[in-house]
Amino acid sequence: MKKTDDFTCMTKGFDLDQAMAEAERCLLCYDAPCSKGCPAETDPGTFIRKLRLKNVTGAIRTIKENNILGGACGVLCPASRLCEKGCCASGIGRPIEIGKIQRALVEHSWTRNLQVLEKSAARNEKIAVVGSGPAGLSCAAELAKEGYGVTLFEARPEPGGVIRYGVPSYRFDLDFLERELADLKALEVEIRCNEPVEGQGGAEKLLQTGYSAVFLATGLWGTQRLKADTGQIGGLYTSVEFLASLRDQNLAQVRQQLAGKTVTVVGGGSVAMDCAEAAAKLGVKDVHLVYRRSFSLMPAEKEERIEVLDAGVHLQLLNQPVDFIVNDKGDIQGVKLVRTCLGEPDSSGRRSPEAIPDSEWVLETDIVIEAIGNQALADSPQWYPNVQVNEQRLVQVDSDSGQTSVAGIFAGGDIVRGPALVVEAVQDGKIAARGIMKYLAGKDV
Amino acid sequence: MAKKQIDLSIDFCGVKFNNPFLLSSSPVSNSAEMVAEAFEAGWSGVAFKTLNSDRVRIVHPSPRMNPYHYGSKRLVGLQNVEQISDRPLKDNLLDFLYLKKNYPDRVLISSIMGFSNEEWAYLAKASEDNGADMLELNFSCPHMTIEGSGHKVGQANHLIEKFTETVKKAVSIPVLAKMTPNITDMTEPALYAKQGGADAIAAINTVRGISQIGLDDWTARPKVTGVGAISGTSGPAVKPIGLRFIADLAKCEQLGLPLSGQGGIETWIDALEYMLLGSTTVQVTTGIIHYGYRIVEDMIEGLSDYMAERDMTRVADLVGKALPNLQDTDKFDLDRQGTAQYDIDRCIGCGQCLIVCNDSAGQALEWDAEKRRPSLIEDKCLSCMVCSFVCPVSGLITYKEQPKTWQRQETEVMGKDLEDQLKLEACK
Repeated sequence: MKKTDDFTCMTKGFDLDQAMAEAERCLLCYDAPCSKGCPAETDPGTFIRKLRLKNVTGAIRTIKENNILGGACGVLCPASRLCEKGCCASGIGRPIEIGKIQRALVEHSWTRNLQVLEKSAARNEKIAVVGSGPAGLSCAAELAKEGYGVTLFEARPEPGGVIRYGVPSYRFDLDFLERELADLKALEVEIRCNEPVEGQGGAEKLLQTGYSAVFLATGLWGTQRLKADTGQIGGLYTSVEFLASLRDQNLAQVRQQLAGKTVTVVGGGSVAMDCAEAAAKLGVKDVHLVYRRSFSLMPAEKEERIEVLDAGVHLQLLNQPVDFIVNDKGDIQGVKLVRTCLGEPDSSGRRSPEAIPDSEWVLETDIVIEAIGNQALADSPQWYPNVQVNEQRLVQVDSDSGQTSVAGIFAGGDIVRGPALVVEAVQDGKIAARGIMKYLAGKDV
Repeated sequence: MAKKQIDLSIDFCGVKFNNPFLLSSSPVSNSAEMVAEAFEAGWSGVAFKTLNSDRVRIVHPSPRMNPYHYGSKRLVGLQNVEQISDRPLKDNLLDFLYLKKNYPDRVLISSIMGFSNEEWAYLAKASEDNGADMLELNFSCPHMTIEGSGHKVGQANHLIEKFTETVKKAVSIPVLAKMTPNITDMTEPALYAKQGGADAIAAINTVRGISQIGLDDWTARPKVTGVGAISGTSGPAVKPIGLRFIADLAKCEQLGLPLSGQGGIETWIDALEYMLLGSTTVQVTTGIIHYGYRIVEDMIEGLSDYMAERDMTRVADLVGKALPNLQDTDKFDLDRQGTAQYDIDRCIGCGQCLIVCNDSAGQALEWDAEKRRPSLIEDKCLSCMVCSFVCPVSGLITYKEQPKTWQRQETEVMGKDLEDQLKLEACK
């Protein structure tokens, strides 16, 4: 059944006429700043010019050749600090809404069933891509276009990684995701879901089972926790659990569980904003967002911060959780918070929170969602024991090629960068694909 | 000058118009009900939709129009194959009586088209008898489906003269001859119309054109039962052509007739341009098809303010004011050269100037990639000003006249080392 409510579907984007009207505001700059501002080199300067000159299919080709997730990036990118940031049209008004144009063009290709990507002649080598999130999808597409056989291994039941299991539907809906994935499937990439590549040396073993190279793009599915050993507390969830549950077929059940409840989200990043806004949109009684610094110091994008306010979330700024209050049934009843003030800047350049003595108070709540940061799963280094990782278990690579410390194993996306943007993961996939091709051409990266 | 002292009324062939703005003979003047609305909006007169004498049944093709869009800018032109009035003559004449009864201070121009001498005379007389203040002879409809009519007449000078003469003998009201632009020189047929007794010339009717071909059916638009045809183009796209013909007519001393200008008028500025080149009245259709009768409010207000700013009271004083400045190109003083000049503090760094100068002009700009700013190498500048045409900041790039001693660099020759291979017999 087609879902049409405003929680499971994104708001409509530009149609082609609106995209054209927006493209007409574009100044078609020389050495376009927007093109320089895209981390994945999606090249708005070129695709907007193509649209303007009615070369619509060519415009879509530019997007899709540069960025297999051009649609997703059009929706999810914080464009105002990427491509739109340097837009010269700001000088005479406001920047061109590049993200919206990009989305409209990609959606148009689906409406018109335009196949803009072509495959080169098939090659013998097979490449294994571990993880089907943005980095994995991007790398797979690049290699498949060049004729390589690509197998995507996905641990979860469906492909997409963070853009399936880590984003609420109203921001990025499944219908859109499936259409974008279809563009990849048209390149004959084999996607094997429910096939986690784990266990001792599991990823490295792929090199012995017929794959000439491996791309690791497993992402960050672990979560930092406020306290150790809280696994048994009822009503306490991680952001990963909560967001994934919203994509579940059992959304109706989740909705029912949350009805009439007070939800508290802890954290100030994009993931925390998604959790809080999603809870508010699900119609719970109250949503509190607890953050230990001030509004402007939240790592979340400005638009996201404002959306959260707009959704009716109560911001508990300058408050830091110190403990959970649990009843005798083991269910959460409240969070003990301490008020903070801002001290000297820390290593991130932001003023660090300092607890105000004797200022503890209890925020009553039925549900707590911890969203204080994603991290690599604890056992992830075992999957590739010879690959060098750092103390955060992030994989170390050569930034020009994505090559890890093991020949033939490449990596990209959040498992390398830490939490980053979809568009950055896309670029990692492209860089690694080029690295892999170079490696295969001469075994010399 | 206070605005209320501005007098927009104007005399045209002895008939007083409250302002120079008229509906032209077209879909916008099809019935009294429509024209009454236009009069209420402020139009001073109408060239009513061309009458026919019921001898031939008029059927409009379906669909009868097609828009010419430029990007998302709608209707920069209009393509149409509408015929003359498909209403019975009696209905149209009753409408005349209604309009003259209810709007005695507005001018009713009856546009007519006959297919024989007798018919021209008959329609002229019927119009005059039923209240028409003036006649407009339609010698110019570019897409009549009936042979021997419309612009075919406008291209046959002896017919223009004959039909005008016939009409003039039949009536005593002033007669305008409406000309087709689908010829090389309009003064020639206009002089034949004068010879026949025309009191004024109206121009231009639509320009024969094609503005769109269907890419799936390879058929021009509008597509009428699967068939496309060359048809009449109107709207802003044809304004330069209209202005040119009006100027030609106004400059023709032998002609010396008042003019009613039309072709692409939407704003008071368009109207004023037609007047400055010699039009006493102006007529509008496509602008109304695009925006409705209400545009006349802005034409009246805009023109009044323009006059107030210049301390002018009579709109008639504007007629033909641009004509003395309109010369042939051989009158240009080629010793005086100039360059572009840049108010670089206002630059927003888009670099479109650089692209057009490199690709279509003197390659006279350097580019600071870091700061994203152009700088002009003045003695390479051709003063073509294309940079200013694409610059999104109005007035940033302007023309500057250089002293007479100023020398422009010659265009660089890339093949100097190939000189030995040149064989120029004729130049030896």
